[in-house]
Amino acid sequence: MALRIKKNRLLVYAGLLASAIVLPFVVRDAYFIGMVNFIIIYSILCLGLNLILGYTGLLSLGHAAFYGIGAYATAILMTKHGFSFLPSLVVSGLLALFFGFLLGLPTRKVRGDYFCLLTIAFGEIFRLVTQAWIGFTGGAMGIVGIPIPELAGWKIQTEVDFYFLGLGLLGFTYGTLHLLTQSKFGRAFVAIREDELAASVMGINTPMYKILTFSIGSLYAGIAGSYLAVYQTTVTPSNFRLEESCLMIIMVIVGGMGNLAATFLGVTVMAVAIEFFRFAPEYRLLIIGLIMILVLLFRPQGLLGASAFKD
Amino acid sequence: MFIDVLIVGIMVGAIYTLVTIGYSMVYGMLKLMNFAHGDVYIFGTLLCYTLLAQAHLNPLLGILIAALAGGILASMVEFFAYRRLRAAQHRMISMITALGAAYVIQNTSELRWGSQVLPFPSLFPSQLVTVLGHQISVTPIITLAIAVFFIVAFNLFLNHHKMGKAILCVSQDIPTSSLMGIPINRIISMVYFLGGMMGVVGGILYSASYNAISLGMGFRGTIVAFTAAVIGGIGSMSGTLIGGMILGISENIISVYVSSSYRDSIMFLILIVILLIKPTGIMGKVEQDKL
Repeated sequence: MALRIKKNRLLVYAGLLASAIVLPFVVRDAYFIGMVNFIIIYSILCLGLNLILGYTGLLSLGHAAFYGIGAYATAILMTKHGFSFLPSLVVSGLLALFFGFLLGLPTRKVRGDYFCLLTIAFGEIFRLVTQAWIGFTGGAMGIVGIPIPELAGWKIQTEVDFYFLGLGLLGFTYGTLHLLTQSKFGRAFVAIREDELAASVMGINTPMYKILTFSIGSLYAGIAGSYLAVYQTTVTPSNFRLEESCLMIIMVIVGGMGNLAATFLGVTVMAVAIEFFRFAPEYRLLIIGLIMILVLLFRPQGLLGASAFKD
Repeated sequence: MFIDVLIVGIMVGAIYTLVTIGYSMVYGMLKLMNFAHGDVYIFGTLLCYTLLAQAHLNPLLGILIAALAGGILASMVEFFAYRRLRAAQHRMISMITALGAAYVIQNTSELRWGSQVLPFPSLFPSQLVTVLGHQISVTPIITLAIAVFFIVAFNLFLNHHKMGKAILCVSQDIPTSSLMGIPINRIISMVYFLGGMMGVVGGILYSASYNAISLGMGFRGTIVAFTAAVIGGIGSMSGTLIGGMILGISENIISVYVSSSYRDSIMFLILIVILLIKPTGIMGKVEQDKL
């Protein structure tokens, strides 16, 4: 029985992978692929955030800063220091991991809502510094002219090329996070989310696990940022505002916290909703704000959530 | 001159205190971070701008209407976005709806007023007076006096009026106050209303003394309010005054003597340091988690 379920699941994965690979050959519309690429970026970001929010219950409103750290690291390394794409990607991820570790340290003593404020302050400092430090980050104009990335002789240039690069990164993200949450660590995360005190009494090192999840979640944001830098060929501070962090949080919540696969649903639903209101860009924040309120009032556990917020 | 910087700093500190009071009370009472606070007071201040600079209303009447509008908007936000979530659930839920409400108000204001800096009219004559052989502009002094008047009046209201005492009771213990016959919902609406009103007055004083108002000051105001409240000890009235003053004075000294483009970064840094070192603030009490 168990074997059959496993077999079915494998079939589902294989089918999804196959349809993801043929997608750009069936739908040849560059605009559509462009939108899918953004869904991929947000999926990577939100999978990492779901690990933080859904598995340890830390509300981070600074995720956009880690995204930005990755993007600026890649932009600066590739334009000013002649790095190629792969090492920049690795450095971006590790740098985000490092800052995630630093910001995760206070979770040991700072309470939940104060920690949330800490993440907001971190995100705002990041944005303000990138705006003010013109010599290093290009100020409000950002960094332009990021070169075309190359992976083992493959020049990544068109929307379809970027689609496959994104798909690879997304596969890496989902795969590693899936393994992590199925492991001993994942069970510890769930135990902490369900009841932190009980978990610590059972001998789970809760502070260590919180710092760990926070840094790992940030690592993926760094990867997404690196991808964004080469995809857009420019990075500006306005890519990493607080509203981006809010958007990611609401994507995770709409999908369902603590359920990795549901994140795809949440990201897609929100991306389509925002796209749907594209004719009225001046109402963008209003719509995001209303969705934030309505979802939390009426369905805080999201569409496919494992559990709603708990005290 | 250092003395001028100091006076302006004290004035800004008093305004910050005014803006922070409502915010700090809401936190003390409901443990809710009202992210919409800044956008509410900017809405009121922008409304006041329209009434004074475009409709040429009597300043006092204009300020009164704007303050009332801010108060009503604040209690509407409470009614629609927070009230249903007050019972038992996790705090973070209402933090997210609060951000949602902030965005809704911000976007609505942007549709009407745009996001550029608008020239807010001066409310007071820009005369110079000589104090101890030193030329000082009267604007900061009048502004300071008005801000202090509101702070003192609010404290008197809290400690001596029946409604104010009810507010203090509710912030100590909601279920018990409810059993004592205090109408909880009405008191909480009242706190939001008063907080919104005082925020608008603070916003008007600030904009009038700098002759500028813009939408971006809303989110900044929320962070200022939170930082001031945390420095002083959240929920404490005297702490709010201390926090507002520290923030106002240090901010002015920093932007004059260090760099104005890093002014906000430094404010966030102060917030981080305070949260890390002494999250209960200067006048705050240590709260024990209940199991």
